[in-house]
Amino acid sequence: METLGFLMEGFAVALTPYNLMFALFGAFVGTLIGCLPGLGPANGVAILIPLAFTLGLPPETAMILLTSVYAGAMYGGRISSILLNIPGDEPAMMTCLDGYPMAQKGRAADALAVSAIASFTGGLIGTIGLIMLAPVLARFALTFGPAEYFALFLLAFATLGGITGKNPMKTVIAATLGIMVATVGIDISTGTQRYTFGVLELYEGIDFILAIVGLFAISELLFFVESRLGKGRKSVQIGKLTLTPKELISTVPTQLRGGVLGFIAGVLPGAGASLGSFISYTLEKQILGRKARFGEGDIRGVVAPEAGNNGASSGALVPMLTLGVPGSGTTAVLLAMLISLNITPGPLMFTQNADIVWGVIAALLVGNVLLLLLNIPLVGFFVRLLSIPPMYLLPIVTMVAFVGIYSISHSTFDLYFMVAFGVAGYLLRKLEIPLVPIILGMLLGPEMEKNLGHALVLSDGDWSVLWSSPLSITLWGIAALGLALPYLVGPLLRRRMNAAMKESPVSD
Amino acid sequence: MTSLGDRILGLGLLVLAVAYGWAAQQWPEPFGGAEAVGPDTFPTILAVVLVAGSLYLMIKPDPDARWPLGKSALELVVSLVVLVVYALLLEPLGFVIATTLAVGTLSWRMGAAPQRAFLTGLVSAVVVFVLFNYGLSLSLPAGLLEVN
Repeated sequence: METLGFLMEGFAVALTPYNLMFALFGAFVGTLIGCLPGLGPANGVAILIPLAFTLGLPPETAMILLTSVYAGAMYGGRISSILLNIPGDEPAMMTCLDGYPMAQKGRAADALAVSAIASFTGGLIGTIGLIMLAPVLARFALTFGPAEYFALFLLAFATLGGITGKNPMKTVIAATLGIMVATVGIDISTGTQRYTFGVLELYEGIDFILAIVGLFAISELLFFVESRLGKGRKSVQIGKLTLTPKELISTVPTQLRGGVLGFIAGVLPGAGASLGSFISYTLEKQILGRKARFGEGDIRGVVAPEAGNNGASSGALVPMLTLGVPGSGTTAVLLAMLISLNITPGPLMFTQNADIVWGVIAALLVGNVLLLLLNIPLVGFFVRLLSIPPMYLLPIVTMVAFVGIYSISHSTFDLYFMVAFGVAGYLLRKLEIPLVPIILGMLLGPEMEKNLGHALVLSDGDWSVLWSSPLSITLWGIAALGLALPYLVGPLLRRRMNAAMKESPVSD
Repeated sequence: MTSLGDRILGLGLLVLAVAYGWAAQQWPEPFGGAEAVGPDTFPTILAVVLVAGSLYLMIKPDPDARWPLGKSALELVVSLVVLVVYALLLEPLGFVIATTLAVGTLSWRMGAAPQRAFLTGLVSAVVVFVLFNYGLSLSLPAGLLEVN
C-alpha cells in the first residue's frame, strides 16, 4: 500500500507537461537509436548525457529523459531485425530468427505491429516486477555494511561478463583498468595527488562522461570506417497490415511467459537482456513444440524474444536503482548520469530521493504507453530513417558527441581526451577486452575504495572483516561462481545460441 | 592463427601494472600518520590484480583478431586525423566551418559522393548550430563567421 502511494507521487512527477514532453522526446529518440544499426542503446544514452547536462535539466527530468531513451531503444531494436535481418542492438538478435522470414513472406507490417505489442507487454510486466521487487530489495540492502558493499561490487564485476562471456579473465582486466582510471586525481580522504603528473586538468580526476562517449561513440565510428559498411543494406517492403485480433490473442500466453522470464533474467546478475530474449525464445519453442513453426516466420517467434528483452530491460533497473550496481552497459551509463547529478545510488536513494526514483518508475509506465502509441502509427517514419546509410549517420553522431562534450566544459583539451579514449576503445574491442567493465570500473572504483577504507577502519585494519559475515561470504561465493561458470557452462550455452541462429534458413 | 595481439597487450599491461604499482609506493605518508588504508593501498591491490591478469594473457592468449592492413588502416588513420584536426580547428574556424569540413570528409571517406557528403556536413552543422545557439542558448564558437 505504501508502495502504491509512492507510485502515485511518482506519477505526479512524471505527468507534469514538462516531464511528459521529455519522456515523449526520449521515447522517440530511443526508438531511433535502437533501430539504427551502429548506434546501440549504451552509445546513444551516453551521447545524450552531456546534452541533458548542458540543458540544465532538473535531476528527475534528466533521468526520465534517459530512461525513456533506454526503454525506447529496446523497442527500436526490433525494426532493423525484422526488415534488414541485422539486429539494431544485441538483445534484438533473436527477433531476426522469425521476424525476417515473416517480412520475406510479405508480413513485415504484422511482424512490426505484433512485436510492438509484445514489447509493450514485456515492458509492462517488467515495470510491475520492478515496482514490487525494488522497495523490498532496497530495504534489505539497508542492512549492508561497507564489507558487504565491497563484496557486492566484486560480484558485479565478476558477473558482468555474463554466463555467455568468452574470457572472464579479460573482464577482470577490463574492470581493473577502469578502476585504475578512477584512481587518477586527488585522493578524497587524504588529499594525496595520485597519477596527476602535475597536469592541472587531471587534478579533479578523469571525467567518466567523456571517457564513456569516447569509448563508445568514437570507437564505433572507427569500426564502421574499417568495415566499410557505409552504404547500408536493402530493406524489405513493409506491405499491408493483415494481423487479425484472433491471431493477436493467440500470442497472449507467449507474451506473458516471455515478459516474466525476461524480467527474471534482467534482475539476475550476469544474465541481461540478450540472455532474456534467448531464454524466452527457446522456452517458447519447447512449450509449443511441433504446433509451431519456429524459424520459418512464426508470429510467436517474434513475440517471445521481444517480450523477453523488454521485460529484461526493466528488470536490469532493479539492481541499478536499489544497490547502485548496474548489470549491463546501458544501465551503467544511466548510473553515470545519476552520479554526475550528485545523487548517491543505492538503497538510501529510495528515501532521500524518492521523487526521482518513483518519478523514473512512473515514467517507465508512461513511456511504455507512449512507445506503443508511437510505434504503431509512426513505424513507416522509422523505416524511412532506417534507410539513411551509416556513411552520413555516423559522422553526424560523432559530431553530436563532440558538441556534447565541448558544451560541458568549453575546452578542447576534453575533445582530445575523448578521441584518445576512442582509439583506446577501438584497440581494446579489437583485442576482445569488453568495454562495459571498464566503464563500470570508472563509476564504481571510488565507491569501492571508500567502502574498503570504511570496513578496515571499523575493524582496525583487520582484513578478514571483508569475509566475516554470512552475507559477505555468500556474495564472495557468487562472485567466484560468476568467474568460474563461463568456463564450465559458457561454451555449451554459446554453442546453443549459435546453433539457434544457424537453424534459421534465411540467415546469412 | 597466431596470438601475438594478446601477448603484446599482456606485456603492455604488465609494464603498466608495475609502473602503476611502483608509483603508488612513492607517495609521501599522508599527514597524520599511516592508517590501515592509505592512498596507496587500493592502487597496490589493483596493480597486483593487473599483473596476474597480464601474465594470464601472455600464457594463455586468445587467437588474434583480423587487424586492418593497407587501405583500411590508412582510412582509419585518416579518420583519426580528421577528428584531431576537428578538435584543433573548432575554436579558430568556428563551429559551422569546422563541422562542415569534418563531417563532410568523414562521410566522403566512408563512401558518400563528395558533393553530397559536404552538403550533409553543411546542413547538419547549420541545424545543430542554430538549435544550440538560439533554441537551447548554449554558445558554440562562431569563429570566422562571427558578426559583431
